[in-house]
Amino acid sequence: MSTDSPLATARPATLAPAGHGDGRPLLAVEDLLVRFRTHEGTVHALNGVSFELAETETLGLVGESGCGKSVTSLAIMRLLPKPAGRIEGGRIVFDGQDLLALGDAEIRELRGRDLAMIFQDPMTSLNPVLTIEEQMVETIRAHRRVSVEEARKRAIELLGMVGIPHPETRLRSYAHQYSGGMRQRVMIAMALALEPKLLIADEPTTALDVTIQAQVLELLRELTANSRTAAILITHDLGVVAGMTQRTNVMYAGYIVETATTPEIFANPHHPYTVGLLHSIPRLDQAQNEPLIPIEGAPPDQRRPPVGCPFAPRCAWRLEICWQEMPPLAPIARAATAGRVVTTGPEATHRAACHNQPTPAEAEAGRPLREGFVPAPPPGAVVEELAAAAAGEEAFAEEELVVFTDEGEPTTAAGEARGLPLPPEEGLDGER
Amino acid sequence: MVKYIVRRLVLAIPVLLGLSFLVFAFIHLLPGDPAVSLLGQHATPDRVATIRELLGLNKPLYVQYLDYLAQLLHGDLGKSVINNRPVLEEFLRRFPGTIELTIAALVIATGIGIPLGRLAARHVQGWIDGAATVVSLLGISIPIFVLGYTLQYFISVQLKLLPTSGRIDPRIGFELSTNFLLVDTLLAGDLDAFVDALRHLVLPAIALGSIPLAIISRITRASVLDVTNEDYVRTARAKGLTERRVDSRHIMRNAWLPVATVVGLQVGGLLAGAVITETVFAWNGVGRWVVEAIQDHDYFVVQSVILIFALIFLVVNLVVDVVYAFLNPRIRYT
Amino acid sequence: MATATATVVPRAEARVSHGLWRDAARRLLRNPPALLGLSLIFLFVAAAVLASFVAPYDPLHPDLRSQFKPPSAEHLMGTDRQGRDVFSRVLYGGRISLLVGLVSVVMGVTMGGTIGALAGAFGGRIDGFLMRIVDVLLAVPGILLAIGIVAWLDRGLPQIMLAVAATNAPIFARILRGSMLSIRNSDYVIAARSIGASTSRILLRHMLPNALTPLIVAATLALATAIIDVAGLGFLGLGPPDPRTAEWGTMLTGATSFYRQAPWIIIFTGAAISLSAIGFNLLGDGLRESLDPRLKK
Repeated sequence: MSTDSPLATARPATLAPAGHGDGRPLLAVEDLLVRFRTHEGTVHALNGVSFELAETETLGLVGESGCGKSVTSLAIMRLLPKPAGRIEGGRIVFDGQDLLALGDAEIRELRGRDLAMIFQDPMTSLNPVLTIEEQMVETIRAHRRVSVEEARKRAIELLGMVGIPHPETRLRSYAHQYSGGMRQRVMIAMALALEPKLLIADEPTTALDVTIQAQVLELLRELTANSRTAAILITHDLGVVAGMTQRTNVMYAGYIVETATTPEIFANPHHPYTVGLLHSIPRLDQAQNEPLIPIEGAPPDQRRPPVGCPFAPRCAWRLEICWQEMPPLAPIARAATAGRVVTTGPEATHRAACHNQPTPAEAEAGRPLREGFVPAPPPGAVVEELAAAAAGEEAFAEEELVVFTDEGEPTTAAGEARGLPLPPEEGLDGER
Repeated sequence: MVKYIVRRLVLAIPVLLGLSFLVFAFIHLLPGDPAVSLLGQHATPDRVATIRELLGLNKPLYVQYLDYLAQLLHGDLGKSVINNRPVLEEFLRRFPGTIELTIAALVIATGIGIPLGRLAARHVQGWIDGAATVVSLLGISIPIFVLGYTLQYFISVQLKLLPTSGRIDPRIGFELSTNFLLVDTLLAGDLDAFVDALRHLVLPAIALGSIPLAIISRITRASVLDVTNEDYVRTARAKGLTERRVDSRHIMRNAWLPVATVVGLQVGGLLAGAVITETVFAWNGVGRWVVEAIQDHDYFVVQSVILIFALIFLVVNLVVDVVYAFLNPRIRYT
Repeated sequence: MATATATVVPRAEARVSHGLWRDAARRLLRNPPALLGLSLIFLFVAAAVLASFVAPYDPLHPDLRSQFKPPSAEHLMGTDRQGRDVFSRVLYGGRISLLVGLVSVVMGVTMGGTIGALAGAFGGRIDGFLMRIVDVLLAVPGILLAIGIVAWLDRGLPQIMLAVAATNAPIFARILRGSMLSIRNSDYVIAARSIGASTSRILLRHMLPNALTPLIVAATLALATAIIDVAGLGFLGLGPPDPRTAEWGTMLTGATSFYRQAPWIIIFTGAAISLSAIGFNLLGDGLRESLDPRLKK
């Protein structure tokens, strides 16, 4: 196992999943490192992600776009875009098998049968020139030795199950003849066709009308609960996770920054990013006049290898150390671990990766309440000079300044301040 | 679907009228006196008067045009000024040669171009992709006559692998019935003659097919690459389908559509290219006939060939569009 | 901060459009095939411009003592039947091919561009009418239209230019109309209209520059086709009226009867036509890639 991951030190020796017969989780992702090699440089998409999932458990992966949630799911499916996307470290153990060690034929066996996936946009995820029947039948027949007729019967049954009226006739239609919500129902039917052990839903309702979203989510919840299918729900919307999953992982810049049971995340957020997410969505239990607080700035450019906490530039709680060292994902102080970290189930240990965790009162307020606390400035950089330089920048000056100081790479900032040239293709490209 | 076809047919009517006016103008609006242009400077006044009468040049222009339309509808394309034979008759006698050549070129262009484009897309940025890029660059950049003579010189003259020109060895005798030599030789049961005709066909077909080959391989590559990045291909993989199935059923089924359209559009280029190819390879077809007619100022022939080639082009593309609509459920069911 | 951002907006806009072309130029210069194309074009243009200085012999002057001389130090590309130096003729021939090609493409862009811009800008009946004309011209396959026009108007360089322009024009018309139509309904034109900009201003300032990109690419690629078509007309005997003129297509025709004895004439002349076409095709593809940042690999 690689030792260069900041999280390697975070995992105590006695990790154990809870509430599971043979003590083995259905899915164990260990220290996953994923990089994308692009013409513009290497994107550090996942920087040591570890989590586990028990059978029948439902887990939410939450974060802004680009935080690595979709990459995690594609890595599990072994569907990262080739040749750019590479798994450069870690293990993914599913149902006792190391997925990364499987051959192409073996992983294909699992896909669709034990591991199923639903994608974001049902319009583009269904083949426009094949009927729904052709697409469902081929899925079933790829894994079961059944006749076309039997597969068709099963497809009708499935369409009925996901609430499509007149499934016998609708089966012969094409995707463009369905509405958006119906298409996603078809995708769900197709994904559940072979009763998979794990269903991954990547933003399954983002592309749908708001009114349809709730229906589709409810359908997903009901079906996975009935068939006791484990599920990973990927979303940028904490609100979606609330009623849907038992546990939640909050991701940022290729790290899991906080993990706990879903109710615990909502009641007791311990990472400034989670606090920010919670404050940027409207909540029913919130006082009406309380304003939404957006998270300032943008996620970091992941083409730069991470140094320190990637959230530090946007963080109101940051300390000096945050610029230098990524904090480990460790049990929060309150958690009674007794030397044992529970990774799955309703007793899962609440963990957060933060040097300076917000107190409950601060989490409630959405900002630090300590007397005289000022977020630590980026080290080495002469802030005034940077600000002056940025004031001279046109175009997206404001945002670029934030991104620039947000890089979490003090050397570059310092270099610029001292008048050293930036490496080509980086920094404030093209605007100087 | 029916509505779509009807709409396409209705849209074709003004184009056909415009086309007929264009070729009408070609003769009746010849600069100077059309009759003199047709007959040359040294024609006797008598002959000029006859031609003027024949063309109705003394009537108002719109009457001339309506007369011409009526003539066309009766299948009368006029007579050759050179030998006074009906143009249509001569055209039909020579056209099989051009069809044979054009189809052979299309077979080469699609038979090589499509697999090449698929391979290039599958190994993007690899050496085969590079090779395909070079092939298609050369294909669109080297004129037919340059490629034709180069092939003739190296393959036929230097290496003596294939005959230089003509459609068949003139010493071979057999009965002509369809004027498609590949068909006629087979009908005659003369296998040697068939092989000889086939050997004559190879170089002209390569020369003529080079441009469509380049274009088709390019569009195939681009189309396959486009489709490969579609979400539904990822879905197909996520369902656990084999790569072969993903390729044939999900990628190619969609990638075909733009390729089909482009292949249809190539027919026009092939017919125009046949004019040059037939000249290079002394191939007895319509193209060579046109070139001779230009040199002889035999305008009725030039006019008729332009009209018929354009008609063929329009019909082929109408058929391709209908096939496209049939292949594409998004059009079929609207 | 907010006020600072607001004040820089107009300048930022100007910079963006300026940066677009600069970015395109930078991408083009980093594209090896496009650079190769540029160098080929530069080579041919230089050869054509400097032909009278570079050419070792008079391209028109027959020398019956040196008929069909193979390539040598004396005659780099050998001689033809009249003993004329092929190298010199290729150099001078480039003048006609490049000039006729360029003029015909400019004519084609002007004719087609006007039709397409009018059709795209006004839509409706004008669009329908103009596009049917374009359909008619497009129905006559490529060089056949040019053949017809030259046969009709008689041989001569202006006729050849017009003929080749007429084959290109409908293509340009379609491209410009297509991009104008899509831009007409784009958010930024709607935005410009909503703040009350005049039609001509929208047309000239917002639509045309954005519609131009595909046209520039198409025109560059059309230069390659135009050179081939001009040579093709010459090859079919429809080149310049004076048969002695050094013109690539005509030179080829003259050489075809003797290619067993003197293959070099066809090889060198053919290479000149092909290489200049390759140059424009490479540049056109490079321009397409660099003008459309979405196409970046």
